[in-house]
Amino acid sequence: MKRRELIGGALSLAAAPAFAQSGGFDWRRQDGQTITLMFNNHPWSQAMRDMAGEFTARTGIRTRIEIFNEEQFRARLTTFMQGRSAELDVFMTLASREGPVFRKAGWYADLAPLLADPALTAPDYEATDFAPSIQGANVFDRQVVAVPINQEGPLFYWRRDVFERLGIPEPRTLEDIPAAAAVIKAREPGIIPWAARGLRTAIPYAFVGFVNNLGGSVATPDGKPGMSQPGSVKAIEMYANLLKEYGPPGALNHTFTQVIELLGAGRVAMVHESSNEFANIMRFPNRANDLGVKILPPGKESGISKPAAIGWGIAISAHSRKQAAAWTFLQWATSKETQAKLVSAGVAPPRASVFKGPAFDAWTAELPIRRAWAEALVQLGREGSGVFQPPTDRIPEAREKIGDAVQQVVLGRATPAEAARMADEELAKLQ
Amino acid sequence: MKSLRNSSRSGTSYRWMVAPALLFAGVMIVFPFGYAVWLSLCEVALGQPPRLNGGANYARLAADPDFWNGLRLTLWLYAISLVAQLVIGTWLGLLLARTRRARGLIRTILVSPFMLPPVVIGMMAIVILDPSFGIANWILAQLGLPPRLWLSDPDTVILTVAAIDTWQWTPFVALIVMGGYLSLPGEVFEAAEVDGARGWQRFRRLTLPLLGPTLVTAAVLRSVDLLRFFDVIYITTQGGPGTASTTLNILAYRRGFEFFDIGYASAIMVTLSALVFGSVLVFARLRRAVTW
Repeated sequence: MKRRELIGGALSLAAAPAFAQSGGFDWRRQDGQTITLMFNNHPWSQAMRDMAGEFTARTGIRTRIEIFNEEQFRARLTTFMQGRSAELDVFMTLASREGPVFRKAGWYADLAPLLADPALTAPDYEATDFAPSIQGANVFDRQVVAVPINQEGPLFYWRRDVFERLGIPEPRTLEDIPAAAAVIKAREPGIIPWAARGLRTAIPYAFVGFVNNLGGSVATPDGKPGMSQPGSVKAIEMYANLLKEYGPPGALNHTFTQVIELLGAGRVAMVHESSNEFANIMRFPNRANDLGVKILPPGKESGISKPAAIGWGIAISAHSRKQAAAWTFLQWATSKETQAKLVSAGVAPPRASVFKGPAFDAWTAELPIRRAWAEALVQLGREGSGVFQPPTDRIPEAREKIGDAVQQVVLGRATPAEAARMADEELAKLQ
Repeated sequence: MKSLRNSSRSGTSYRWMVAPALLFAGVMIVFPFGYAVWLSLCEVALGQPPRLNGGANYARLAADPDFWNGLRLTLWLYAISLVAQLVIGTWLGLLLARTRRARGLIRTILVSPFMLPPVVIGMMAIVILDPSFGIANWILAQLGLPPRLWLSDPDTVILTVAAIDTWQWTPFVALIVMGGYLSLPGEVFEAAEVDGARGWQRFRRLTLPLLGPTLVTAAVLRSVDLLRFFDVIYITTQGGPGTASTTLNILAYRRGFEFFDIGYASAIMVTLSALVFGSVLVFARLRRAVTW
């Protein structure tokens, strides 16, 4: 059976009784309980903290929300879970990254039985409404480990005003980007032509689109590391050269925070950065008017545009003693109603009905750049890939090896081919 | 008042009174360290009980280039920071000891850097040293000097981190030195002056030897801190660029919390702890040698 069929099967089987039930759903069934939630610092989490009162008013369940930056969040989560702490009930998870390890450790409660329980799941929850590509990352062998809270991926943002002023056409292919950067560098020294993630562990998220678009792949067809394939080597070369020749000084320590700061402050002409940062970018003056946004342009020869596409999810700890209350929170947070409200916080909804719904439509219609962002997200959901590394359970390590290959080229310590070969050797050890 | 010795002579022992301290040390120090040693001898799969694997984690250390790189960086950072802090701190401490005016105010100002939380220091360093926005490069530009990459240059990142730590902790050394200097017997210096000892000669032959125990104490305190230096590096570079600032602490953190390799991370930390203990023992011996 194919993976997509399995995912669909798991979800529809689990959700069927919920859909079958009609009539009211008792949201106050877990009234009086208090649950502890741990989130990564993210626009979704910030919005949840603001909306937690609405959840308590509706369900009677009180929340203790802890939000940490991603590294601290992971460290604290690991400590809690390894200690089998029952104190934590709900946590954010990026199943495409840590899913295999967390699942093997038995840290995720299986949501399938909860979805299947009509007493615990609202009849209008509609679990099948989530985009299959996003929900797919949360299902392992019929175990539903999380429900999606957003969809995101890197997008290409460029300064339309700078391009117009210099007479540079909008990049239509990936190869147009270095060409445009060269013109900007030569003719407008006050602006940095390009910025993207240069921090080793952060690189793969932005880099994998270059690999796919240039006809490469992080894995060979038989599942072996694929960085030495011609398209992948070209991608290393292009990504590294963009950072080295056209990037800001100190780019190798940059992740999304620095890239967004540079873009927002009007210091950079082009970036490849997360769709998720859209709301933050729009807070800077003028950016709503002078920026363009779209999916990373396709490679000239391949015609493919396939950047990274991921979605964060929320999971219930297997050690939680309040799983029913936790599930009530998950349902509320990922319901159509809540997701429609989250749109104004810049959270791209993973539910198809919300994405195509009137609230999202009205919001995007207010500004042309919002419409462009929404269209790019549709394309991202359709074309994007959640695979950043060759098959392995040791995903964070594998991503670091790929990031390291790019850094070695930026630092001038290896040629793209040498860096690719070394990366493949290291990646093979992780399989 | 009856002394402990007297009480024991009289048949009443008060040794039990140290029991709470021993219990505290056992619970808070010995147990966590013992547990870390145990983990370092195990293979730890997340969600599973640890399984003994003998010295396999330590054998991995010996063959891991990242470990040797981390050890080299840790020792390099330790050496340059310690020397810089002791030299500048001694100079600053002596200067302060001879200052008559506004000593209290200066002391308060000196205390402020090491009262700041490391996260604030790290964020300040990021802002000041940012190659695009930072004031450090702006100042260099005003002086007609070329900009620097500071934390982004693999060849200078350790020096930059050492400079940040030196900025924060040199005043601490200076205050210790000042206290030590002010407690020295004044008649020795008067006698030296009568004998014609001046300037550098007086410093080298008299002040420095007399300050020996004070400097060793300062060195011990800074050594322990420097060998477990983590937060500022993690905030400013996360061990990069590449692995240019991946000291043993950063390496262990990443292996443990990002790669979930808890057994191996514990082996790194136990090795680092041995280094810390080793350095404290060396300084303890040195302290005995310089005591007058």
